[in-house]
Parts: sequence; structure tokens; C-alpha cells
Amino acid sequence: MNPLELTLGIMTAVGGFVDISELVFAAQAGSIFGYALIWAFAFSTVGMMVFGEMAGRVAAVAKQPVFNLMRHRLGLKLGLVTLFASLLSTLITCAAEIGGMGFILHYLTGAPYLLMAAASTAVLMASMWVLPFKWIERIYGLLGLLMLVFAAALVAIRPPWDQLLGGFVPQVPTGLSSKQLLQFCYFGVAILSAVMFPYEAYFYSSGGIEEGWGRKDLTTNRATTTVGFCLGSLLAITILASSAQLFSPALVGPQEPGTTALEAAIPFGRAGLLIALLGMLMAVGGAAVETCMANAYAISQFFGWEWGRHKKPWLAPRFTLAWIACMLLALAIVLTGVDVMTLVEYAVLFSIIVLPLTYLPLMLLAGDKGYMGQYANRWLAKGLGWTYFVIVCLAAAAAIPLYLLTSGGQA
Amino acid sequence: MKLTGSVKLVSQLLDLPILDKDDRWCGIVDDVELEGGPGKPTLVAALLVGPGAYSGRMPNFAYRIVRAIAGNRIVRVPPSEIAEIRSAVKLKCTAEKVGLHRTEDKVRAWIPRRGAL
Repeated sequence: MNPLELTLGIMTAVGGFVDISELVFAAQAGSIFGYALIWAFAFSTVGMMVFGEMAGRVAAVAKQPVFNLMRHRLGLKLGLVTLFASLLSTLITCAAEIGGMGFILHYLTGAPYLLMAAASTAVLMASMWVLPFKWIERIYGLLGLLMLVFAAALVAIRPPWDQLLGGFVPQVPTGLSSKQLLQFCYFGVAILSAVMFPYEAYFYSSGGIEEGWGRKDLTTNRATTTVGFCLGSLLAITILASSAQLFSPALVGPQEPGTTALEAAIPFGRAGLLIALLGMLMAVGGAAVETCMANAYAISQFFGWEWGRHKKPWLAPRFTLAWIACMLLALAIVLTGVDVMTLVEYAVLFSIIVLPLTYLPLMLLAGDKGYMGQYANRWLAKGLGWTYFVIVCLAAAAAIPLYLLTSGGQA
Repeated sequence: MKLTGSVKLVSQLLDLPILDKDDRWCGIVDDVELEGGPGKPTLVAALLVGPGAYSGRMPNFAYRIVRAIAGNRIVRVPPSEIAEIRSAVKLKCTAEKVGLHRTEDKVRAWIPRRGAL
């Protein structure tokens, strides 16, 4: 194991962890409920670690990404349903990320939002065409580390650490009305979905194959999914905590991504604002690339096409067409003028419904000794996996009723 | 029991990805063609790959949509070209030899060959 590679992998995971949904829901959750939803982030992150580790292990041992084996496990009909649902939810997520980039570039340059969304799509597509997988992953992931300014900002504003740490204990705030309680549950479900997006498992496992992972990389996989995801999630939690400290008392509702950047502007001024916006731009841009490639991976693996961006684009032609089509479709959705926050809500809603279909076959594969031999799931992975699977199913069942009852998280 | 063994063989083959001898992904086992008859052993005659093989594996309305989009081509891969069956079916030959790379090659013609590192 190369320590430099391992460190880079972990840093990339940290920088690449946060996306537009986490930015939005972390800031809103902090402003509405203070520190009371920190535990939802921590809890969901453990779930993502469990399933991310399984996805990476399957890639390293069986040398197969998730979607290849998902069809084998689910069969053609249910596999097609899963494929269609995950393509739709990931496409909406991709559109939300592109819309988010448009917003951030609009803040930075003052140019029209839709023009900036189109320009950012062109830059993303150019980078995906020119750069091989490892470079794409590293550049967006490492530049996303500019988001660490949010952690520095949290320290600078001196939050009540005892209350913040108390937020890690699962809780429901007292004195909530029934509407507020439903809103709290909605945010809990939305955070679970935003942290455990299905595209992350597809992208992570396919990335393992792209990088030629084998059994020797199991330690890297474990370190990336535990340390990397944990630190990435802490970054999202700092956004929530700063929002709780700065926005909640002032009754500011961070309805747009730009409001979140103010968390760094308050302690550090213009420099903080600029670094925060650039960090958000890279993190959201990285997530746009991941979602777009996740869709291309899914469709290529489902139909057995050549795939991978470690190959030149013309060596995996249908895969190349798939990611180009996905990026253009996502841009087309943004260009209809649909509100980015609506897209984020739909992305989270669709994703939580797809989650059980994603994680059940993954868990079965990772536990199959025929594929995995001595690396099949043991008691801890099995126990955590099934626990989270039941929770994800309950959240999926509750998602639409909660969305309707709260009008998309409004009290 | 032999019957159970052969039925399991088919269920283990269906929907497995296929890799050629150069480790290129070149399709999915969309169906399995069997041969045999009463009193004779049932053997795998070919792996069927391509949208045409979806017929009978999905509702008619869904198959009509698939056929309209992707056509109804079927490629037959004889068992003599299979090297091993694990988490994927590995072929002894190249994808081109059994006709599994035609669509990929057609699409490749549209993709410009420049600018990528």
C-alpha cells in the first residue's frame, strides 16, 4: 500500500463527499433545528461507510462493479426497473448539481445563471473528455478541499461545543408542534438520502475497477470509506453547525446555495466568501461529474458495453455517448428554468425510493461466498447492512407522505 | 441431483457479463439456448446475446419498446468459446470473432479520436 496514494485517496473522498443536496439540507437543517439533526448526518454516514465498503470490496475481490452483478442478482425485469429508477434519480441529481454550479458562478461573476449553467456544463464535459479517470477524481476531489474553510469558519465563530457535540446523540427536540415534528422527520429522511445517494455506490465501485483494484487494495478501500467518508461528513456537519450558530438566531432561512457561503464570509470577510464559493463550485462540479458518469456506468454495465474513463473515449464509444447524453439532458432540465431547490428536493426524494433497490443486491453480492470467498460479509457487515437496509426501506416508505404533508419541508 | 444442477447452471449463467480474451466487456448473457430431448442429456447449445434475446423475458409491451430502440439482433456464442464462468463469462476468443463488437464498432465511427489524455 502506497501511503501517498492512500492519503490522496482519503483527501479525494473528503473533498468529493459534499454535494449540492448536502449543502442545502445541512444549512437548512441547522437554521431550523439548530444542532438537533447532526446525529442524522453521523448516522447516515455510517450507513454510507457500510455500503461503500461493500461496493469497494466487491469491486476489488469479484472485479465486478455493482450494476454488472445487480442485473445477475435481480434478473432482467426487476433489473430494468432498478436501472430506470436510478437513471432518473441520478439524472435529476446531476441537473441539480449543474444548476448549483450555475448559481455559484452567477454569484462569482454576476453573469446570467442559465448562461453560467451552460458554461459550467461545457467545462465539465471538456474535462471529462480530456482527463483520464484518476485525474478527474483527484482534481475535483482535491479542489473540493477548499470547503475546509467552513471548518475553519466554525472554529472562528466559537460555537457552544457542548451543544454541538450533544447533537451527535440521536434526539427529537422537545416542544415541537405536529407540523414541526413532520418537518423534522422530513429533514431526517432527506439527510439520509443526500448522504447515501445511490450514485455514490455505483461511482465508487466503478472507480475501483477503473483504478484496477485487487485484493491488495482492500485496506485502501476500508480507509477511504471509513476515514475519508467520516471526514467528508464532518465537513457537512460544520456547515450545519455554523448555520445553527449564525442563521438560526437571526431566523435566516438559507434557501439558496449562496447563503451557505456567508458562513465563511462572516468570520473571514471577502476572502472567506471567495474560498467558500470556489470550494462549493469544485465540490458541486465534482458531484456533477460523478452523477453523470454514474449514469453512464449503470447503463453500460447493465447492457454489457465497454466502459471506463481510464480508456480513451473512442475505446468505450457507447459509454462516451451515454455520459455526453446524460450531461446534455441534465443541462436541458436546468434550461427549462426549473428552480434548483426544487430539483434538489426531487433528487433526494427519488433517490431514497431507489436506495433499497440499490443496496439489497449489493449486500447479497458482498455476502455471497461464491463470488467473495473469504472476503464475504461477516457478522458486523451483515448486522449493520441489514439494520441500515430496514431503516432505508422505512425512510423510502415515509419519504413521499412526508414530502406531501410538509409541502417539501416547509413548516 | 443432476436436474437441479443443470437448472442452477442456467440461473447462474443468465445476466452474467461477458469478457473477451482481452478483458473487454462485450455483452451480457441475455438468454441460454439448450439442446436435448426426452431421454437425452440437456446441454447448453449457445449463450444468446442481444436485444432479440429479451423476447419472452419481459412483458410484450416492454419488448416492443426495446425492439423499436435497439432492434432484435441476437448473437450466438457457442460453449466451445467459453474459457471460464465465474462472476463473469470469460471467452477464449476476441469479441470480434463471435460478432459481439459490431454495435460498439459502429458507434466508435462517430466518436472523434483526438483531445483525450
